[in-house]
Amino acid sequence: MSRNKSLLYFLGRFWIYLVLIVSSFLMVIPFYWSVGTSLKLEQFVFANPPQWWPSPLTLQNYVSVFTKIHFYRYFLNSVFVAVITTLAHVFFDTLAAYAFAKLTFPGRDKLFFFLLLGLMVPFQVNLIPLYRIMATLGWTNTYLALIVPNLTSIFGIFMMRQFLITIPNDLLDAARIDGCNEFGVFRRVALPLALPGIATLIILTFMGTWNDFLWPRIVTSSEALYTLPVGLAQLQMKNTSNVAQIMSGTVLTALPMIIVFLFMQRQFIEGMTAGALKE
Amino acid sequence: MKTNKVLIGMLLILSFVLGACGGGAQPAASNEKVTITVWDYYGEATPVKPLIEGFQKENPNITVQYESMDWDTTLEKLNVVLTGGTPPDVVTVDMTWFPKFAALGAFTDLKALSGGKLNGAAWDQAYTPGGLEAITYNEQIVAALYDFDVYALYYRADLLEQKGLQVPKTWDELKDVSQKLAEGDKYLYQWLPETFHGSQWIYENGGDLLSADNKTVVFNSPEAVQAIQVYLDMLTNKSAIYWGADQGERIQGIKDGRIAMFSDGPYNMGIMKSAAPEMAGQWRVALHPYGKQPGSYLGGTGLVIPAQSKQKEAAWKFIEYAMRLENQIGVYKYAGAAPALTAALQSPEVNAVDPYFGGQKPFEVFLEAMKTAKHFPYVRQWNDIDVAFSTAMEQIGLGQKSVKDALDEAAATATDAMSK
Amino acid sequence: MTAGSLPNQRTNRLGKYVMPYLFITVPMISFVVFLLVPMVISLWWSLNDYSGIQPAKFIGLKNYIDLLTEDKYFLPSLWNTTVFVLLGMGIGPTLGLLTALLLNQKVRFQSLFRTAYYLPVMTSLVVVSTIWVMLYNHNGLFNSFLTTLGYQPVGWLSNPNVALVSVAVASIWQGFGFETVIFLAALQSIPRELYEAAMMDGANAFQKFRYITLPSLRYVIAFVYIYGIIGSYQVFDQVFVMTSGGPVHSTSTVVYYLFSKFQDLRLGQASAIAYILFAILVIFSYVELRMSREKE
Repeated sequence: MSRNKSLLYFLGRFWIYLVLIVSSFLMVIPFYWSVGTSLKLEQFVFANPPQWWPSPLTLQNYVSVFTKIHFYRYFLNSVFVAVITTLAHVFFDTLAAYAFAKLTFPGRDKLFFFLLLGLMVPFQVNLIPLYRIMATLGWTNTYLALIVPNLTSIFGIFMMRQFLITIPNDLLDAARIDGCNEFGVFRRVALPLALPGIATLIILTFMGTWNDFLWPRIVTSSEALYTLPVGLAQLQMKNTSNVAQIMSGTVLTALPMIIVFLFMQRQFIEGMTAGALKE
Repeated sequence: MKTNKVLIGMLLILSFVLGACGGGAQPAASNEKVTITVWDYYGEATPVKPLIEGFQKENPNITVQYESMDWDTTLEKLNVVLTGGTPPDVVTVDMTWFPKFAALGAFTDLKALSGGKLNGAAWDQAYTPGGLEAITYNEQIVAALYDFDVYALYYRADLLEQKGLQVPKTWDELKDVSQKLAEGDKYLYQWLPETFHGSQWIYENGGDLLSADNKTVVFNSPEAVQAIQVYLDMLTNKSAIYWGADQGERIQGIKDGRIAMFSDGPYNMGIMKSAAPEMAGQWRVALHPYGKQPGSYLGGTGLVIPAQSKQKEAAWKFIEYAMRLENQIGVYKYAGAAPALTAALQSPEVNAVDPYFGGQKPFEVFLEAMKTAKHFPYVRQWNDIDVAFSTAMEQIGLGQKSVKDALDEAAATATDAMSK
Repeated sequence: MTAGSLPNQRTNRLGKYVMPYLFITVPMISFVVFLLVPMVISLWWSLNDYSGIQPAKFIGLKNYIDLLTEDKYFLPSLWNTTVFVLLGMGIGPTLGLLTALLLNQKVRFQSLFRTAYYLPVMTSLVVVSTIWVMLYNHNGLFNSFLTTLGYQPVGWLSNPNVALVSVAVASIWQGFGFETVIFLAALQSIPRELYEAAMMDGANAFQKFRYITLPSLRYVIAFVYIYGIIGSYQVFDQVFVMTSGGPVHSTSTVVYYLFSKFQDLRLGQASAIAYILFAILVIFSYVELRMSREKE
């Protein structure tokens, strides 16, 4: 290889890394800034010039978050709701997706299209009717209201269908010939093959439930049921917001999600790569 | 078969759930145990929560289910539960939410429920005439005014003294003082482009938002246009600072010196004391300067019983308890806000010398301001009027439109909304 | 047909026609009870003058007609939303594709970079918006940066010409990592042989991108745009936290406007707004699907 060419190669790599580093840096700055702010005293939050390193460094904001609100309770509620919801999604979404992807039955495509229409309704408009249904069932202010309306998701079904559709039919037929009923085929063949997709589904569902704000805040009214985002909103009182304190609450809400992602990152990306959205 | 079993199982669970949660709805006889739910938006510094213990001791048959939530959430949830569901029995309600709820008949008439008396005194003895007017709609009393909010001028006495300036009493004096006070982007008058402040200037020039019968939009009358023009002049001659969304909380501006004067209610004293303790002694309050007459919006917090409440008697007991003199003083003690009961306002605990405000008695000022303050009109279309007017204030402040054009256009929009 | 084969056929038929419905039972019930029923209820409300407290009054299509002809703020909100969608969809997926292409160049620490792009996606919009409000503050990080360089501070959220762009920038920052990951996944599943063959034919980098990469990404791109557009037409949280629709309604979006109608207990109007948006999105998706089918 000529010297020229390797120089070109080197320059090209240099630019790639430069762009990647600078852009990742830009992505991370707001996070750095919010963590930094959460460790500052309130009067230095908008100091001029800006404090890149909090000085004095203080944990006071975190201490007040823990003393002012029942952080642990909200945290446990969030975990409980997110875990149950995620498990339900994994089972119901994948099962339905399997039916839509691999089984033929009358009305299949129409039903599927019908489901997709549901994605286009802004949730805000269903808020009150949905609340009324909860009230009729006597579910308001219970875990049921937080969990049951969200046992499955259209997006999840759609995504898993995209996955399962890529599984060769021969594999399924082989299992059928072995005497499996459809559920058996699903459980023994389709499910293991869909595992990477399930990892993606788990992350996306967990994330959606963890971050949900509007519904839990309407449907719960006793503190014992608050999820983390709802509970933390209490820090943001009219006219008296303490920015440093709000930031520490913000960091505490975002952190568990980020940890979950870091742990499952590999499977998540694999899932995306394996079948994702190939049609 | 299998599906049937599942179905039956689900129905059983459903009926169990329904049965388990459907109780507790019967109106209670006097010695039956009842539970009332109380929603409180005060937050950390709440005067409501401390009431519960004493109240339950006095009323062993009533259990208080206390729920705390922030201001925004309270409004959203109240909307939802009032339109279908089980509302709480007592709610703290911002008086700015009142027009809509009152016009829709969402709250219980306390006049009938109370037999015309609040803790043994007639309602009109308990409140100032303006305060009583603010909770009256269609000859019903729909709330117990719990804390009140009227605007007065907060100003940096230390700076005024340094520059040898007098406290402004009229608009002309305000113009003069604010110009002498301003130093570039520091020590300015806070210019807020919304209805609370815009209306104050209009009231102060003898104008109004709606005509006395609440039928005609008049916020583009010559007095109103003139008033807003004077307000705008403060911005044009750089003695005021336009406070948009990215200026952040006012308290930041107070602390970093951008703001040396602003108009706001008594609750702000509590905020300043807790968030800017280092500024003790620098600030004072005075009646807001005016053109023709003093004026301010009148608001605050009302305690209401939603019309669908099943425990009105018990809820009323709680409200009466909250309105007792010693508990009203708690509004000041815990929240730093102004108790609405006249007796509480005049009590030595509340109307005391305040070292933070340089040894003055701030509540004397607010009580004075209350005499001429008026609440926003209670009409169903209030939100449309508010949106139209505050949009005009934004356009004026940002220099997009002249005062007259903006107000005329907004008045046309509001009039249109009123006709529906 | 013999007698002996009957039961077998019956189980077969059971398997064939009943099982699929069993599999979709829970999602379908949940769809009907928690989505369809509320939708029908709100469709009915959209034909009424309804506050939720006073009884509903049937007024036919009046809510729709008023919104489309008289309402001062609805069409501007629709316009703002469209600008927001155009900004977001113009920039977000492009950034996603660019970063994915770079990451696909066998770079070291790929997962580290990827995580950096994906972090904001994991964070809720409410949290992200809260962070950006602080950055956009008059004395915040951006303005301190500008003033250090000798420029005037910008009214990021108070200047009506800037605010919508500010909201869009925060949203793009929050969302494009999702597209990076999707595109990266799709890029990695393009068979290498295709590129090798093209190399043999002497194709340059641009030609490879134009004739191999882009066509292979067709479905993913369609997916990203359809979902992106449906999602961003429903933008709400950012506006709610950052600007409340101001200044001078410059950031008021359709769903934010819907929400403000709901806050004012005008449930009929709020529902009508939702159905107008719904109609727009359905028509759009239909056209989009037709177009992508015709291409095949």
